[in-house]
Amino acid sequence: MNEGTRFLIVSLGDESYAMPITRLLEIVVPQALRKDTNLTEVFEGKFEFRGKWIPVLNIKKILRLPGKPGTSLLVVNSAKGVLGMLVDAVTEIIDTAQKPVPVPKGVMNPTLQYFGGILRYRDDLILLLNENGLLP
Amino acid sequence: MRSSYLLFLLAERLFGVKLVGAIEILPWRPSRRVPLSYSYVEGLLDYRGNVYPVHNLAQRLGLGRPGPIGFIAGQNEPGTKGQSIILLEENSVPFGIVVDSVMRMMSLEEPAAAPEKVRGVDPKYVTGFSYEEDQEIMILDFERLLHAD
Repeated sequence: MNEGTRFLIVSLGDESYAMPITRLLEIVVPQALRKDTNLTEVFEGKFEFRGKWIPVLNIKKILRLPGKPGTSLLVVNSAKGVLGMLVDAVTEIIDTAQKPVPVPKGVMNPTLQYFGGILRYRDDLILLLNENGLLP
Repeated sequence: MRSSYLLFLLAERLFGVKLVGAIEILPWRPSRRVPLSYSYVEGLLDYRGNVYPVHNLAQRLGLGRPGPIGFIAGQNEPGTKGQSIILLEENSVPFGIVVDSVMRMMSLEEPAAAPEKVRGVDPKYVTGFSYEEDQEIMILDFERLLHAD
């Protein structure tokens, strides 16, 4: 299996997003997150994962999507370290030969690196979350 | 020199876009919304293997629509009045624009230098005007529209 050909499909509100599965360490349903006032508002708190405290991002807040923070916690290995990301649900894992299409120019401010590209999924387009660009 | 243009209506004004490369005209349809995109970007559309960003041209140009009291800018309800999406490309970059209705293709004299003042539209996005049968056709500069942020 080549790297980057399997993607995790997650839902945020009524839309689906993808993430490369190579970045995923674990999916957990978190017990209470511990609040940490040192973290900025895009974090919901921190979570103890394998004996270490990791920061947990509320992706909906970052992307300005409405609704409560998700209830599934993805633990991912980002370029800036291990972190948690809250999503509404993990829908499926897809296996695809597609190479993500870059987000076209002129769609959003190029300094925002939230999306790593676009994939086709069930007659629709979905955005690939860039776990390295989500951190503030 | 004459070139082929596609004429379309938007906010009751006549516009023209030079025909370069492939062009497609579709009935308006919802596109995939991109969180935190520019306000005038409706989303992304997958059409025949290409991903097109769809620009709400009226909003991009700040064109008003006749409202109950005068003109209200930026109040565009997407797809409500049988709008169309024109898919085209500029310097091989594909993109789509939402227009009220597509009129026809015609050969027009290339517009002269850009005007200094244009009613209701930022002149930096206007290449110039062409005239045909006493009608004024605004020719837009899509390279600037797409990349001037």
